[in-house]
Amino acid sequence: MISELMINAFLVSIMLAIGIALLKSRSVIYTVLLTSAYSLVAALMFITLDAVDVAFTEASVGAGISTVLFLAAMAFLPKKEEQTVNNQAFPAVICLVLGGVLIWCSYDLPEIGLATSPIHQHIVPEYILGSRDDIGIPNIVTSVLASYRGYDTFGETIVVFTAGIAVLAILKNNKKTLNKIKSQKKVVKNG
Amino acid sequence: MDKNPILRIATKILFAPIILFGLYVQFHGDFGPGGGFQAGVIVASAFILYAIVFGLEKGKELFPLNINLFLLALGGILYGGVGIVSMLLGDEFLSYNVLGSSKQAGQHIGILLVEFGVGLTVSNVMIALFYAFVDFKSSNGETK
Repeated sequence: MISELMINAFLVSIMLAIGIALLKSRSVIYTVLLTSAYSLVAALMFITLDAVDVAFTEASVGAGISTVLFLAAMAFLPKKEEQTVNNQAFPAVICLVLGGVLIWCSYDLPEIGLATSPIHQHIVPEYILGSRDDIGIPNIVTSVLASYRGYDTFGETIVVFTAGIAVLAILKNNKKTLNKIKSQKKVVKNG
Repeated sequence: MDKNPILRIATKILFAPIILFGLYVQFHGDFGPGGGFQAGVIVASAFILYAIVFGLEKGKELFPLNINLFLLALGGILYGGVGIVSMLLGDEFLSYNVLGSSKQAGQHIGILLVEFGVGLTVSNVMIALFYAFVDFKSSNGETK
């Protein structure tokens, strides 16, 4: 129990440190790398909560591929962020109040892993027994994701697909426009 | 990065194990942590690593853009197709019980195919995004 508390405190303090460093950073590369580190610590956090599947996703997607894609997309941005926000007092107050309310509410939540908490009463027992008897798969997460909630996962896949082709379409069109502008400029120069 | 031998050789050594690990995560998702989303990202990272180290042209030689876009769509079609096949066999959309000889066998086949569809779409969307960003960057750089 004490060791768990120590691990959690350690991870949260690392996350806090990364968050403060993120606030201070004005360089884009630095920000992307810090976000990646934050995702890695979040993945460790999920492991302490015994959510290995989520931790796996967070580590591979959050810390891995999104960093690479951000770095590839970063070329469109200026290297340094311009400091435009002058009055930071009002946003800070909103963040502090919202954070305070959320922490206050968290005291009403049932303890993590408590078998009698409402979320483990409703449909979860059916899934746990069904995963063994009806589906025959040891990993309950997979049986919920692919079979019980197959509709949702279908939607997720289509969302990923749509987002991908939308980005492709936007970048292709922009490329065409750029080429058009380029050729028009040439015409103007030649004329 | 063409002249850096350490990166080139490390990439060549790591490429196959990354793909192998991706396939393990893909098809072992029933028994341990993993599944289509994670496996797709891992497989995509192998191809992206190759394209980063050897350049976009070589990357596109290894994994051409038209195959990439074809597989991107095929993943979604595979997922929806499993649902439609289960409908044609007389059950509800995406209810896998009818796909195999027994209820459990059907569920196994259905989950395997559906996860494979997710993996195909996710990995190819990631690779396509990387190709598009780098392509756009290089064409944008010429205008400046």
